[in-house]
Amino acid sequence: MLESQLQNLAASARERILAAPGPEQLEAVRVEVLGRKGALAEISKGMGKLAAEDRARIGKLLNTAKNDLEAALEERQKRFAGEALRARLDAEWIDVTLPAPGPRPGTLHPLTQIQQELEDLFTSMGVAVLDGPEVESEYNNFDALNIPPDHPARDMQDTFWLGDGLCLRTHTSPVQVRGMAKLGPPLRMIAPGRVFRNEEVDASHEHTFYQLEGMMVDRNVSIAHMLYFMKTLLSHIFGREVTVRLRPGYFPFVEPGFELDIQCLICGGPGCAVCKQSGWVELLPCGLVHPNVLRQGGIDPEEWGGFAFGLGLTRLVMMRYGIDDIRHLQDGDLRFLRQF
Amino acid sequence: MKFSYNWIQELVDGLEASPADLMRLITIKTAECEGVEAAGAHFAQVVAARVLEAEPVPGSHNRKAVVDAGALGRRTVVCGAPNCRPGIITAYVPPGVSLEGRETGRRVVAGVESDGMLAGGAELGINRDHEGILEFDAEPGAPLPRILPDHVIEVDNKSLTHRPDLWGHHGMAREVAAITGKRLIEPANLGRIPREPAAVQVSIEDLQLCPRYSALVFENVTVQPSPLWLQYRLEAVGLNPINNIVDVTNYVMAELAQPMHAFDADKLAGDTIFVRNAREGERITALNDETYHLSPAALVIADANGPIAIAGVIGGLDSAIGDSTARLVLESANFHAANIRRASSRLKLRTDASMRFEKSQDPVNTVRGLARAVELLELVSPGIRLVGGLADLAAPARTPAPITLPMDWLIRKLGRPIGSAEVRSILESLMFGVTETGPGVFSVSVPTWRATKDISIKDDLVEEIGRMVGYATITPTAPVVPTEPPPDNPRRRFHRAARQTASAQGYHEVYNYSFLSEEDARRFGLAPADHVTVANPISVDQALLRRTLIPGIWKNIRENGRHFDQFRLFEVGMEIHKRESGLPDEIPHLIAAIYERTKETGPLYEVKRLAECLMPGCELRPDTARMFEHPSRTANVLWRGHTVGRLFEFHPDFVEGRAVVLDVDLAQMEALAPVGKRYQPVRRFPESAFDLSVLAARRALAGDLQKQLASFAGRFLESISYLRQYEGAPLPEDAKSVSFRLTVAAPDRTLSSEEVGAIRDAIIEGMRGLGYEMRV
Repeated sequence: MLESQLQNLAASARERILAAPGPEQLEAVRVEVLGRKGALAEISKGMGKLAAEDRARIGKLLNTAKNDLEAALEERQKRFAGEALRARLDAEWIDVTLPAPGPRPGTLHPLTQIQQELEDLFTSMGVAVLDGPEVESEYNNFDALNIPPDHPARDMQDTFWLGDGLCLRTHTSPVQVRGMAKLGPPLRMIAPGRVFRNEEVDASHEHTFYQLEGMMVDRNVSIAHMLYFMKTLLSHIFGREVTVRLRPGYFPFVEPGFELDIQCLICGGPGCAVCKQSGWVELLPCGLVHPNVLRQGGIDPEEWGGFAFGLGLTRLVMMRYGIDDIRHLQDGDLRFLRQF
Repeated sequence: MKFSYNWIQELVDGLEASPADLMRLITIKTAECEGVEAAGAHFAQVVAARVLEAEPVPGSHNRKAVVDAGALGRRTVVCGAPNCRPGIITAYVPPGVSLEGRETGRRVVAGVESDGMLAGGAELGINRDHEGILEFDAEPGAPLPRILPDHVIEVDNKSLTHRPDLWGHHGMAREVAAITGKRLIEPANLGRIPREPAAVQVSIEDLQLCPRYSALVFENVTVQPSPLWLQYRLEAVGLNPINNIVDVTNYVMAELAQPMHAFDADKLAGDTIFVRNAREGERITALNDETYHLSPAALVIADANGPIAIAGVIGGLDSAIGDSTARLVLESANFHAANIRRASSRLKLRTDASMRFEKSQDPVNTVRGLARAVELLELVSPGIRLVGGLADLAAPARTPAPITLPMDWLIRKLGRPIGSAEVRSILESLMFGVTETGPGVFSVSVPTWRATKDISIKDDLVEEIGRMVGYATITPTAPVVPTEPPPDNPRRRFHRAARQTASAQGYHEVYNYSFLSEEDARRFGLAPADHVTVANPISVDQALLRRTLIPGIWKNIRENGRHFDQFRLFEVGMEIHKRESGLPDEIPHLIAAIYERTKETGPLYEVKRLAECLMPGCELRPDTARMFEHPSRTANVLWRGHTVGRLFEFHPDFVEGRAVVLDVDLAQMEALAPVGKRYQPVRRFPESAFDLSVLAARRALAGDLQKQLASFAGRFLESISYLRQYEGAPLPEDAKSVSFRLTVAAPDRTLSSEEVGAIRDAIIEGMRGLGYEMRV
């Protein structure tokens, strides 16, 4: 009798478990059948009255029914949980095409970028990066660089004068003298920075622009060394092998002085509009450091020699990005700046 | 400086290089050429023609002329020139020839078909005469006498700064002769100057300022236009033909780089030329019709009455050559370069003469110039006669010591091998004197025209040999250098990191000028007098050097505000602060700004975030606003106990919308930045956290409350952080509740709940002691 009651109970409970429409109904079945005061517990309580041989048999049946129901229940619960999770996840749909909140990264000025790139390049070649002031003494800017007062070479650099023997530096070359005094020979240094010329501003002229001075002083520095250094440097800057040539150029702080041209990167030599049909593009002035300048830096020109060059960063930036108006670089216009 | 190819060709025997090749050679070996242009190509077709008839064309000022153009036959042309009359020989331009960029055609003028044209000096590029057609002497059909198509090579003046000799054609011809291995022709014949006593006396006050003064006197002078070929020469190199006498002086200058001046001898007082400093109050009216007040520093040429020329710069009007001039004094002098330069910049008068003298001309050249002039004057002023011989006063000639040039040193500098024979031959081609004083050692003497300033040391000779042997023959060679890391530049590293942080936070980098207008200084409450000022600014609005980056970023905000509703900008630049003496202080600053057009709460906290990223743990302390700052949104930025900058919102009078600015001193930040890090053991025992809320006045500073809470928390306080604040019911008006989360822990054990409770109680009690109500 108890046996059939148990079987009926198990069968109906199983049916109800399988038919439960949701977790609440399932829980109701669990409490009713498997709970502490549930139907199976009731049966279990009645076991004491049974004969010993029945007790063992019914007990076994009871356990089997309980395990079965629990398994069915668990499986059903998992299914409900799975469905609930799926439903939740589905409800959590978001539009991934909406823009991310918060600011986008800003940009570094193209002059900063090229300057940092060159600083890294030179540093990797063992070259020190030095600074010099934007306001210089007339002496450092000219006299110490072998350009005495009333020297016609002063015409080459229209100067902003500040009184008291001061001026806005017209080139980064004064850092040569500062660098020699600071580092002593042998030395390799660059000095990027802002320079000033008293010139009207138009699409290709600026009164404020950027240069990178470079200098090497050692015991036996030759034109051949300078050529190697410049060629290596320029090949890195332009990302490909470049052909360079030297021709005479006059700068009082070097002797001999050169203009360094690179073979036109656009036409490769035969001549085009960019190189004005010459096949060459004038890139930078350079030369062997004049003995008077070495002396100004406290270096004995009989023992040491060196080369120096001045790279126009502004011009390089314009070449690299194809910028056709120099004024963009310092007019603070975001429509220009955010492109970098 | 313009060079005529024909002129150079005349001075270099057998020059074959084409104008384009010559330009390339000069560029590679000597000086930078800016271009070469054909000049006077039309002279291949223009011919002399005799005017046979010239009938007025009714109803116009033109004439219908019939000319005999030799082999070209008779041509009928219409000519408007007043001097078009039968009998003259003039220039006939056949149809199809280009003049001044226009093609001459067969065209109908005033109803008459003109078959080509008759041309004047300006049209042909011979001189600047627009008055009429040329008149000269030649056979009809012949080319214009001694006038040929030419090319003009333009050389960059800057690259001639150190070469006084290259300011004349002969100097360039000397280079070309050396480069091409041709023979140089000497145009001056010193034998033309008679050895007789001079007809004029010269007195030089200071032989340093005037190392040489040479002069000749001529009589029986005819003043008239120069022959066309001479005018054409001058015109081709950019000099204005004036009259035969003046043209000769300019011709010699353009050829030998020796400036000269001709005085009308009959207009001079006394028989002595004085070279002296100007006297106080002296003035002179110069050839350009300007009157100059002379300072005693200026050197003048004077007669007994006063100045007749500003030495080396310009001649005086009163003694100028005119149509009536019959006798002349021809000056060929040498002046101190720097002094001429000073005079010319003081007078703001740069002339062809001053440009040459300031390059340090060769005193030897004065007599050479006169010799050449004698010959040319005889050509252009028939019947002219020298009176007496050379007047010549000079400082003792300085012969610079020869330069010792060791071959091994030279080879080390060049970085390529070169033989002694080649070195000798190069130097000799440039007219250096070369003797071998020992094995592999040359003693090199410098020609006078290179010795004034250009060449004095052996390094100068490296250039001479290098350029002639060809820099292209030097193989790039890696220098042998120590492999060691370069000295560090912590400042640049720091600035780079700051830039990186700002741009990562969304700020775009701008570069602003270092200049500021007085108006902008005042606008930002700064006295113009407190700035370093530019003595010669480009314009008045760029007369000061910035001592703050604020005006620059303000301008950026306003200008970009026209295009964008919101944006972030920053700049790293130098503030320039005036000092009593010496160089000004240059202080690197970072300035960053956020602009938002909407007037909601504003981006102050966003900007503050940048401050915190740059300076972890920095604090803001409210401060009195300057006139351009929002009175209740202005603070100093404190870091590690120091004020390092300012954070403020722009006053609405300055910016429409909201703009918040962070302005910090990078040098101070760098000095305060922590160096090095040390590992702290990771805590093994759990920490405890609890929240506290303080009821405070609405304008109480959360930062102050936080510090006060922390001050009562004792040694176990790990951290304290702001959670939120609340205003409104049920709180009293003018009050707010500010909540903080405190975390406490001990390094060596877990704090018991009693201990944590005790800490909490102590804080509450402490705060109540300060008069705060605690909401617990």
